[in-house]
Amino acid sequence: MNYRIPILILAFIGTGLILISAGKEDGLGAFASTPLKWEIPKGFPKPPTNIFAKNKLTEEGFQLGRKLFYEGKLSKDGETSCGSCHQQFAAFSTFDHDLSHGVNNSFSTRNAPALFNLAWMREYHWDGGINHIEVQPLSPMLAANEMGETLDSVLFKLKKDTAYRRMFKAAFGDPAITSQRMLKALAQFTGSLVSANSKYDKVKRGEASFNAPEEKGYALYKANCAACHMEPLFTDYSYRNNGLALNRFTDIGRQQISGLAGDSLKFKVPSLRNVQLSYPYMHDGRIFSLPQVLDHYRLKINRDQPTLDPILQKPIVLSDREKNELLYFLYTLTDTSFTKNPRFAAPAPITIKH
Amino acid sequence: MNKAKLLLLTVILSGLIALLLPSFSVPAASARLRVHFVHTAAGKPLLQDSLYLNPFNETYSVSKLKYYVSNWHPGNKGSCFLINAFSDPVISLDIPPGQYESISFLLGVDSVHNSSGAQTGALDPLNDMFWTWNTGYVMFKLEGVSAASKSDLNRIEQHTGGYRSPFATMRQVNIVFPAGEKMEAGKTYDLNIEMNLDKYWKGANEIRIAEHPVITKPGNLAVMVADNFPGMFSFKSFLSH
Ligand code: HEC
Ligand code: HEC
Repeated sequence: MNYRIPILILAFIGTGLILISAGKEDGLGAFASTPLKWEIPKGFPKPPTNIFAKNKLTEEGFQLGRKLFYEGKLSKDGETSCGSCHQQFAAFSTFDHDLSHGVNNSFSTRNAPALFNLAWMREYHWDGGINHIEVQPLSPMLAANEMGETLDSVLFKLKKDTAYRRMFKAAFGDPAITSQRMLKALAQFTGSLVSANSKYDKVKRGEASFNAPEEKGYALYKANCAACHMEPLFTDYSYRNNGLALNRFTDIGRQQISGLAGDSLKFKVPSLRNVQLSYPYMHDGRIFSLPQVLDHYRLKINRDQPTLDPILQKPIVLSDREKNELLYFLYTLTDTSFTKNPRFAAPAPITIKH
Repeated sequence: MNKAKLLLLTVILSGLIALLLPSFSVPAASARLRVHFVHTAAGKPLLQDSLYLNPFNETYSVSKLKYYVSNWHPGNKGSCFLINAFSDPVISLDIPPGQYESISFLLGVDSVHNSSGAQTGALDPLNDMFWTWNTGYVMFKLEGVSAASKSDLNRIEQHTGGYRSPFATMRQVNIVFPAGEKMEAGKTYDLNIEMNLDKYWKGANEIRIAEHPVITKPGNLAVMVADNFPGMFSFKSFLSH
């Protein structure tokens, strides 16, 4: 088998030549990946897995992911981008909607969660049905009541677009547009959405201090909420039943994924960061304001459900004054440097040379 | 174009070093094994959209039959192929030379590849073997029509998948060579494996079309189907060239 080596040498020289000519002649610019450093914010734990270990974070990959996130072509009607349901000013939740608009006047059956600190999440969606950030976008893209597309059709549309061929080349070295590259680029954007600069964070870093009601609210939070909405991410990402009644879609949550009756009506504990901006609340957006959420915990928990979390079997007692103090604390979790970060906003339309 | 030349040089040099090193230490020498899947039903070759009787006397036809075969042993850990019964169901393996009594594979996709994010090749979600709402691959997909099916338009739609315990559906399949087979470096061999659909319906468990025309999620039913997988495959013939 000695002819193998000379053939390989020839193949490599050939590939090299093709690479050079590709750089010269496809008019799509060069492979110019600029590594990005992804830093764990001070006081945050190490993520359970490094989502960028096999998806090298680069400026070009991030920018491609950002463009894709705001891209109508990912949907059947050309308008329902990820960003249409996940709006930055609402911490990437759907502003003021219990359910979100999909294509053809359809609606999602769940509330669009705010998107941030996804790199710490082990499983995605309210029921944790999705096991990796890279495959998450397939769910909305292919769902008839969300973006209503097929993967073939999305790739076809992207391949026709010179701007995308240019950006895929810059990010991945050649202009091939594949599902894997598209998904990895999207994960570079969504995985980079880190929110860690609220007043609470500044207090923790010693750059600010709570006023008296906030300080009292913090204590009330620690006593009543922290067991599930754990610091510093304000969730432990577990699945629990917090005493909401079964909804009109008979959404049983985690049981749909695990197949276990003991998981009935359990949903992933959402983060309380930016909660002031991400109303309405809960997996179906049934509660429209934070004071009403607190009333749920004070007064309305369904204690007859067998899967109700044991922590909530014991009543949560809050006076009206304490309720307000707790609210003041929750407001300190709002991070406007995140919701106004221009790097996460829709990119300006790109002008294409030639 | 100085940058490009530098790039070219680096590519060639690093490529050569990477490739020459292993070829000096380990002689490139394996046998080539082509594995053909021969699909049968009711004792006849399985043809697309033709009528067959299953062991429960239910008539049916198959429009789609696709499944994953992965982690071939010997020598092909991590390999993964998507078999389409109606489109050239042949795969090629490089086997370390030796005398073998059997060959084995995993019917389905292992849990690592079910949870490693976006994949390419056989595992590209474009192949329509991927559940988007409950991450995981459909290990085995059979679609068709049967008068026994009470679902819409008499459809059969059986998508068997699930990788998480206790509802894991990938199964180890062992193909025994009745006389043992020797495979030598540099030679090509053909192995024919019969896949008998009768055993899909009736094996360790009974899957009646009348009862289960539609399977679309992980769970007990999918596990019952999966328990029939190992019995469906058997040695048919082995040829050397
Ligand atoms: C039609 C509105 C809509 C569109 C369009 C949409 N989403 Fe979502 N998104 C949702 C809803 C609703 C959920 C919750 C789904 C569930 O739990 O079943 C969600 C969940 C998510 C999650 C999981 C968050 C968590 O806390 O678990 C991520 C990440 C996400 N979307 C990213 C995207 C990306 C990327 C796109 C574009 C490819 C996109 N979404 C398009 C509505 C939408
Ligand atoms: C036993 C665990 C547990 C405790 C204790 C708990 N929660 Fe929750 N919380 C959850 C779960 C689970 C959800 C999601 C429920 C759903 O949508 O079905 C949730 C949802 C929320 C939401 C909605 C967030 C969103 O984005 O939709 C808010 C706000 C909230 N909780 C605040 C609090 C506050 C304030 C406290 C303390 C008074 C508290 N929770 C105590 C488990 C808990």
